[in-house]
Amino acid sequence: MSTFTEHKTVADRSASDRRRHKQKIEKAIKEGLNDIVAEESIIGQDGKKKVKIPVRGIKEYRFVYGDNDTNQRAGTASDRDVRRGQKIGESPNKRKAKGNDPGNEPGEEYYEVELTLEEIAKYLFEDLELPKMLRKSLKKTEVEKLTRHGYRPKGIIPRLDKKKSAISRIKRKKAATSREDFNEEDDFSFCEDDLTYRHFKKVKKPNSNAVIFFVMDISGSMTRNKKFLARSFFFLLYQFIRSKYEKTEVVFVSHDTSAYVVNEDQFFTRGNSGGTLVSSGLEKVLEVISKQYHPNSWNIYTFQCSDGDNWPDDIDPTMRALEQLKSICNLFGYCEICPPGEGSSWSNEWRLSNVYKPMVDSKLKMVEIKRKADVWGAFKSLFSKQLRVSI
Amino acid sequence: MDWDFKLLKEWDDKISEIALKHGLDWYPINYEVCDYFSMIGHMSYHGMPTHFGHWSYGKNFERTRQMYNLGMEGLPYELIINSNPSIAYLMKENPAYLQVLIMAHCVGHSDFFKNNRMFKDTGADSVLARFRNSKKRIQSYVEDHTIGIEEVERVIDAAQALQFQTNRYGKIRPTQKELVKKYKNLIKQDKTGEYIGFDLNKIPLEPDYDILEFICKYSRNIPEWKRDIIEIVSSEAKYFIPQIQTKIMNEGWASYWHYTILNELELPSEWHIPFVKTHNQVIRPHVGGLNPYHIGFTIFQDIKKKKGIEECFIVRESLHDVAFLRQYLTRELCEELGLFSFSLKKKHGYTIDDVSDDLGWESAKKVLSNNTGTNSIPVIYIDEIEQDNTLIVRHEHDGRDLDLEHAERVVEHMTYLWGSTVKLFTIIENEVWEI
Repeated sequence: MSTFTEHKTVADRSASDRRRHKQKIEKAIKEGLNDIVAEESIIGQDGKKKVKIPVRGIKEYRFVYGDNDTNQRAGTASDRDVRRGQKIGESPNKRKAKGNDPGNEPGEEYYEVELTLEEIAKYLFEDLELPKMLRKSLKKTEVEKLTRHGYRPKGIIPRLDKKKSAISRIKRKKAATSREDFNEEDDFSFCEDDLTYRHFKKVKKPNSNAVIFFVMDISGSMTRNKKFLARSFFFLLYQFIRSKYEKTEVVFVSHDTSAYVVNEDQFFTRGNSGGTLVSSGLEKVLEVISKQYHPNSWNIYTFQCSDGDNWPDDIDPTMRALEQLKSICNLFGYCEICPPGEGSSWSNEWRLSNVYKPMVDSKLKMVEIKRKADVWGAFKSLFSKQLRVSI
Repeated sequence: MDWDFKLLKEWDDKISEIALKHGLDWYPINYEVCDYFSMIGHMSYHGMPTHFGHWSYGKNFERTRQMYNLGMEGLPYELIINSNPSIAYLMKENPAYLQVLIMAHCVGHSDFFKNNRMFKDTGADSVLARFRNSKKRIQSYVEDHTIGIEEVERVIDAAQALQFQTNRYGKIRPTQKELVKKYKNLIKQDKTGEYIGFDLNKIPLEPDYDILEFICKYSRNIPEWKRDIIEIVSSEAKYFIPQIQTKIMNEGWASYWHYTILNELELPSEWHIPFVKTHNQVIRPHVGGLNPYHIGFTIFQDIKKKKGIEECFIVRESLHDVAFLRQYLTRELCEELGLFSFSLKKKHGYTIDDVSDDLGWESAKKVLSNNTGTNSIPVIYIDEIEQDNTLIVRHEHDGRDLDLEHAERVVEHMTYLWGSTVKLFTIIENEVWEI
């Protein structure tokens, strides 16, 4: 009465639906990333560090009853003792959401996705762009670059050649139709053998370089909180610029009344004393540039973080240094850190943001960070494509 | 692998012989043997050999695989679809005794599909062709460069959000023509003046519970391909609804028969312990939760004991889960199952409301019934189309409030399909609420 058949087709029938699902999750990750860029666990890590990110599952919405006291549910307890008013912790129905019954409402789903910082940077910076810049004449360094070099049957998904793969699927299907044992029902989705990947080869090429100067005020008024905000901001900048250039150098300059070139560790941890002379920091940058990074061969970016305090007497030297810097930088970004309740000791008139304001244009941009949640927004407003169009 | 097709055929013959003797009447079954990866693949599409693609099935797959890998679904995978012939899947990795148990279980399901009256309109003879055809059509829309996958997915997302919003328990949806006739008669025979000023042009004349069909019929300027996708999703829901409405009975019936048949088969002695173990695992109570195999098996055994097997056959033919529980879930059984009701209290978390004692068993049973089959889906109906084409939709509040996050998003989906404003009225914490 019954028949038995071995399932012949090896086709992975849900492959394309899984891929679509994955794309949706990636989109959700991207949207969720904005919340995590200022998390302490990722700031200051190197690019290979893996970060676990919880992503809310892609929900399928239905009319359902809410989880509240009007919605009673039932359970069984068999020989266990249960009594009225007993607390039973999390809902057992929700905990075990089964996926194979149509109409069975699954509970809240979370995926934990492991990404490296480099991947995060890829997602984050996809829609952002460096400001318009003249590619500086290339420094005489060489770098290995990948160029196209034929096709291979194995490879990674981003290198999949869709057209070639589609052609070989059609070929396979045509071949199968002419066979005697051809079965209408067979699923001709893509199978492993159809997939064709572009192959790349390493080629030596001259390189374009970038150097980023991070200038931070470490005077007494920069509290721990302010420094953390500055650090988050710098971290994003670093990841971003590195994702756009093959080679990026970073110079950390910290200053109170005088400026020093320091290493990353010192930059973020030391300090907290003395008054402020902003000009010292900017002059230090100029000095380093003139020694090591000729503007003709380097793309130069300078980012300054400060709480806006400066000695009134220092305004003029600061402006002079700034003007000079602006003329040789691809972009000068100023970020003022001003958390509410941690006000400045000087009057508003002398705040750097007010002093810099007249000079703001496409090469000198200014942003403000009040709290952690602002970091990403501030960063985006420096680089977003839309902004550039409007300028 | 301790089995081959020859061995399975031999056991199938023996199973069939016993099942026939007991009066079971099932469709021929085509067993397909596949590995666990394909098994999960088929499960993601509810067992349909062909099915249109949509990301939600990819999600099904990932979730099932995740549970499989975690060993959470330690149960033997059993999958059979309501078609003639029935298609059932056997996992290559299963040992012989388990294949035999699953085959006996499948005979029970197939008998249920063939005889239970809820399934009489599911078109078991043509279902495979229908699904194959739907897949082709949807694929053609995806490949049509004027439509494309994003648009197709959007429509499927929206239609799936509403697919189970339809008439329940065999209630037939009257056509507009029939309704007009009905109300013309009522107006003619009206003696109390109830129908003075009754507007025969109102759409719909009576609350319409079949939201997707309503949208297909009355939405303006809806392109043919969208209508087609909506109809595909809507008719798929109608095919699956009987399974949702008979889950407990269907699993109980199949478990009752695998148990009976295997006890009568002369199994090799080394199979006894694994068989009993697996059977107990299948019908074990889920403490704190509900296991349909457990509840259904317990009730069918009780019916058999008290009223005989003939009554069981009548039940499998004529009832759905809600009626099954109402008639056969006795006070003693509630107590035996340890049935209780619970809800989420604001301050205390999940708290037990009623237990199966003198005072509470009826209320606990009522709660179970409210959560059984399509009763667990809120009842929403279309009330009217306003002058400006705004669609007025209402929730039949039965004491349970809607989940607002979900409701808002479903209304968005509805607005997309309808093409104009949609307003939903419900009650939240005793206040009228409009979305």
